[in-house]
Formats: sequence, C-alpha cells, structure tokens
Amino acid sequence: MKRSRIIARDLTKTFRDDGREVAAVQGASFEIFDGEFVAIVGPSGCGKSTILNMIGGLVTPTAGGVDIDGVPVAGRAPRQVGYVFQKDTVFPWRTVARNIAVGLEYRGVARAEQERRVREAIGLAGLAGFEEAFPATLSGGMRQRVALMRTLVVEPEILLMDEPFGALDTHTKINLHAELLALWESRHQTVVFVTHDLSEAITLADRIVVMTRRPGRVKMIHAVELPRPRDVIKLRETDAYAHEYSALWHVLGEEFAERA
Amino acid sequence: MSARTAVWAWRLAILVVLLVAWEWLTGIKTISRTPGLYWIDPFFISRPSLIAKRFAHLASDQVRLSIWQMALSTVQSTLWGFLVGVSTGFVAGLVLGRNDRLASIFDPYIIAFNSLPRIALVPLITMIFGFGLLAKIVLAWTIVFFIVFFNTFQGARSVDADLIHSARFLGGSDRQIMRTVIVPSALAWTFASLTPSISFALIGVVVGEFLGGESGGGLGYLIIQSLGTLNAADMMVALIALGVIGIAMALGIKQIEKRLLRWRPEYRSRT
Repeated sequence: MKRSRIIARDLTKTFRDDGREVAAVQGASFEIFDGEFVAIVGPSGCGKSTILNMIGGLVTPTAGGVDIDGVPVAGRAPRQVGYVFQKDTVFPWRTVARNIAVGLEYRGVARAEQERRVREAIGLAGLAGFEEAFPATLSGGMRQRVALMRTLVVEPEILLMDEPFGALDTHTKINLHAELLALWESRHQTVVFVTHDLSEAITLADRIVVMTRRPGRVKMIHAVELPRPRDVIKLRETDAYAHEYSALWHVLGEEFAERA
Repeated sequence: MSARTAVWAWRLAILVVLLVAWEWLTGIKTISRTPGLYWIDPFFISRPSLIAKRFAHLASDQVRLSIWQMALSTVQSTLWGFLVGVSTGFVAGLVLGRNDRLASIFDPYIIAFNSLPRIALVPLITMIFGFGLLAKIVLAWTIVFFIVFFNTFQGARSVDADLIHSARFLGGSDRQIMRTVIVPSALAWTFASLTPSISFALIGVVVGEFLGGESGGGLGYLIIQSLGTLNAADMMVALIALGVIGIAMALGIKQIEKRLLRWRPEYRSRT
C-alpha cells in the first residue's frame, strides 16, 4: 500500500455573493497517494479550482480540511508543494532563464547550481535559444512551458496544476501532455491536475475525481486502466481509451445536461 | 527619404517658418501719424534677432550672473527635487499600496494635502527654507512626491495576485516577493508618472525662483528681473532655455525607462 500524501476531509467552501451564501464545494472527500497522478474533472463552476486552492492553502475551507503528509494545511503553502496556474504567471520582467531560476534564487541555491539546473530545464522544455528572451516575445505554449519548468526546477514532491493548458490550442496542448508525462515518468511527483477536458484527464491521470455541478460534490472516483508509459497520440486511437472515454462521458454528461 | 527624416524635415520647416514670420511681422511699422508704432510690437514679444543678441550678451562674461549659471541653478534644483520626490513618493506608494490599514489611515491626509494648490505653499516654504536652493528643492518635492506616490500606489495595488501566489509557491519570502514581483510590477506605473513629474518639478523650481531673488538665482529669477526692466528679449531667452531643459530632461527619462522596462513589448518592437 502506497503512502498517503493528501487527504481531503469533507471539504466545503461557501462564498458570500450579494449577501447570499453560495456553496461552491460541498463535502468533498478523497485521498491521494504518493506518486499518483490524479485529475479532477467537472463542469465549469463546480468548484474544482476551489478544491485545488484549498489544497494549496490559497483558500481557507468553510468546513472540513486538508492534510498534506499528515499536517493540516493552514494559510501558507506547504514547502513541498508546487503550483502551476491556468493564468500566465511567468514574470514578464525576467528573461526565460531568470524566470526558471527564480525559485532557486528564493531558496538560496548557489549560483553555479542554479545555472546548471536552469540549463537542464531549458533543454528538457525545448526552450534552447530562448534563454535571454522576455516572455512578451514568446507564444502562450512557450510561456506555459516556462511556468512549468520554473515550478519543476525546485523539485516539488507534490504538484498542483489548475487547468495549466486550458488556454492553449489542441496541438500545443497535446505536445505539452507528452512533455509533462515524460517529466513525470522520471520523477513520479504526486500530481493533482484540475481540468474540464475529459480527454486530457484520461490521457494523463491514474485516477479521475469526477465532480457534480455546483455545489461541487465528488460524484465518483474512477481509476483509469491504461498502461504506462503512455503515448499521448497513439493512446487516443486505442479501444481502451475509447472505452474509458465513453464510460466517463456518460457520467459527466449527466452533469452537463442538467445545466442546460 | 525615410519617414523619420521626413518628420524631422517638417519639424525644422515649422521652426524656420515661425522664426521668419516672427522676425518679419515684428518689423512692420504701422501707417500712423505717431511715428515708431509697430503693427505687432516687439516690445511685448521681442524678435528672434534681438533674442539672439541678448542671449549672446547673457552668455558672455560681461554679466554678473550668466545664463549658464542660472540654467545650472535651475537644473540642479529641478533634479534634486525630482530625485527626492521620486524616491520618497515611490517608497511611500509601495508601503501604503501593500498595506490596506496604513492606506486607509493616511487617505484623508493625502487627499487634503494633494488638493492644496502647491503655489500657495511658496511663501511658507520661503519663510522656512529661505531663498536658496533648498526652498526650490522642497517646493519641487512637494509636487513630485504626490504624482509619483499616486501612480506607485496604484501600481502596487494592481500587482497580479496570482504572480504573488506563484512566487510564494516557489518559496519566496515577503521581502523577496517585494523585490522580485511588486517592485518591478509597480515600476511600470511609476515610470508613467516620471515625465509629468519632471515638468512639474521644473514648474515648482521656477515658481520658487520667482520669489527667491538673486541668491536663489535661476532662470525664474531672470524672468522676474526682466519683468522689472520690461525686457521681453531676456524673458524669451529664459523661456527658450527652460524649454530646452524640459525637453532634455524628458528625453533622459525616456532613455532610463527604455532600459528598465525593456521587457515590455512596446519598448522591444521599436529597437
């Protein structure tokens, strides 16, 4: 049995909107184990990002709580957690190389070691030649690669990702899936990946937490039975993938349908 | 001819036309029984040739206080007022911009002081700081401080919260986040206020010089002195000198801005 890393107990979050209490998340519970890649999917507005923010300590739950490695998350982000935002959070005033180095700089890593790790990350992300470029000159996909490498370079054991590829076109997205999986295969971080894209979730995850519409509850937790390592392109043509997709689509479809 | 040369050619042409028209129009005598009346009287607006002559005189060592000394005094006080105003305004803007409690405590005082016409302070500042350089610097400072303060304040408030969160997840302490996220982000706003700041610093200094008398020196003094002697040519010399100083300072700021904000797309495309 693998070590448990993240435990969400009865996570509930209500927001005050126009004087009314609106429940975004209602009693969500799940457990995530070491080295697992878990996706959280659900219709938009189901509070899946709120769940991720509660895991990361950005949002305080109204009720319930999250333990990371047995320690309750309170306010500040735990040190072993890395977070990749949907929005572009690359620092526009820093070059690609200095962006990737920033976490190492914060942690007081020696200059030479910083340079070595940044060079390695730039190679891995296919950003060679863009070390001295400012983000404004890069495409959205390249900027998100920088954001990803900047987070990975400090070697977080737990990686929280909030629709990191949501703003990218399909082609770029699939390339980044392949790169992310390759990186993950080598380190096996524990990943929590929020998305509304079912095929993205199936391609990447070991298990998928399916949310209901607002107020978000855990509808089911589904184990993806696809072998690893996965080839993100060929995978989509397999019967196993089609099987997974239609099973989940059926469940998720109920949630989308009721919205209309 | 490239577009840039064409623009410069036009600028030059306009200058030449203006100068020639000025010289020519102020030379036309009116047909009148009273002799010596001008159609447009150079007594009030002088003439380019006269201004050039007065400039040569003021620039020579025949005068007690040369135009160079006066310009230097004006530039010095402006730069000091600007530097002190920008640095204090920037720090105050950052501190209050990132601290809601302090901001709400100081809010009424800032609004009250800022809505005070700064010119009304001139006599008081003169009373306290005398007629010299210091009074002019203080006056420029009271103006520049607020311009920079308000811009930096806005800039510090509008730092993208996700950038700060993301820095925190990367292990940044509050100090590190201030240095690597908030300051560079606010700087773009601060720079937007620097060009108006230098103009207002110059205004403050010149007003200070109006009152300051000879000990403060400066081009403002030359203007007031020329008013006493009804000498439009000297006034024009001072005005033109002020114009040149203003342009030079604004260009200097643009250069610094281009360097510090080189990450912004608008500065990259034009290099």
